[in-house]
Amino acid sequence: MSRHKKPEVEESISPNLIPMIDIMFLLLLFFMLGADMSQRELAGELVLPEAAQVPESKTDKDEGVQYTTINIHHDPEDGSPCAVNANGGICREDGHWQWSIRAKNFNKNTLKEQLQIEAEMNMETVPDPVAKKLLSARNVLIRADSAAPFGDIQKVIELCGLVGIYKIEVAAARPAPEGK
Amino acid sequence: MAGGSSEDNPVPINVVPMVDVIFCLCVFFMCSFKFKQLEGAFNSWLPKNKGTQGIPEEPKEIRIAMFWEPETQKVRRQFGQRIVEDDAELTQLIKSAHDDWVLKNKPDVPVIIDGDPRIPWKSVIGVVNITKALAIDNIEFALGAMDKK
Repeated sequence: MSRHKKPEVEESISPNLIPMIDIMFLLLLFFMLGADMSQRELAGELVLPEAAQVPESKTDKDEGVQYTTINIHHDPEDGSPCAVNANGGICREDGHWQWSIRAKNFNKNTLKEQLQIEAEMNMETVPDPVAKKLLSARNVLIRADSAAPFGDIQKVIELCGLVGIYKIEVAAARPAPEGK
Repeated sequence: MAGGSSEDNPVPINVVPMVDVIFCLCVFFMCSFKFKQLEGAFNSWLPKNKGTQGIPEEPKEIRIAMFWEPETQKVRRQFGQRIVEDDAELTQLIKSAHDDWVLKNKPDVPVIIDGDPRIPWKSVIGVVNITKALAIDNIEFALGAMDKK
């Protein structure tokens, strides 16, 4: 009777890195998608005014509704630092407040031209019985910094009205719950 | 994917540097990650049948005037002739005026925010917020004279 010799099995204990890499990729994907991409439309920083009564934004939920977002933010034209704004003051210098759509800055004249283009992208199909003309079905969301001059918002609203956009929304942020 | 047994492949791929790089990418994205602030929007539909007009003879409105004081960098709010100091007082005044219009069977009388172009936007939104809290939806922004262009 011959005794079989147990074959020697070389076991190499090494951690399997593949699932970890997969999870890393998923985490990476999650953070990339979770990052606030809308902020990247901005050329500069923007702090929305707070309002507890603001309804939750339905921008992402309303299918088929076309939005144009206009950001009004502090960004001096010449790129020079603004001491007033940096110290939390209310800056009213000419050329320090910019109006931007998709990170491109506009002035009063160029914004009207751009809004005209945006308005014509989504026109209502039947003339409005009140206005007696075709109006734009496009929504405009004005995201203005809390310190932005009200005159800028007034001007943007006026320009929207001139090109036939009447669906205007103004953005505000929900205040953080107390104690957080 | 990454790796492979050395029996199949005579040149094993060292995955450790890749894991390091992925960790670095993760740290980078985590650091640059900015939590999205919960935000919403107030509807502010423009009227279709009127532009900017003067004050009507008999104003059917609740008007809040807001002035900018550049010396103090503060906003002065005025309800009629009365200077309003705080939000509670303004809330009370708007509520009282709105209730009066409701009694006259005109609940749709608008609250008009007539602000100096220099006032900060947050002060306007503050008044919008107070008005919305009173369940008044008809809010209007007074605009200056329109450009003819």
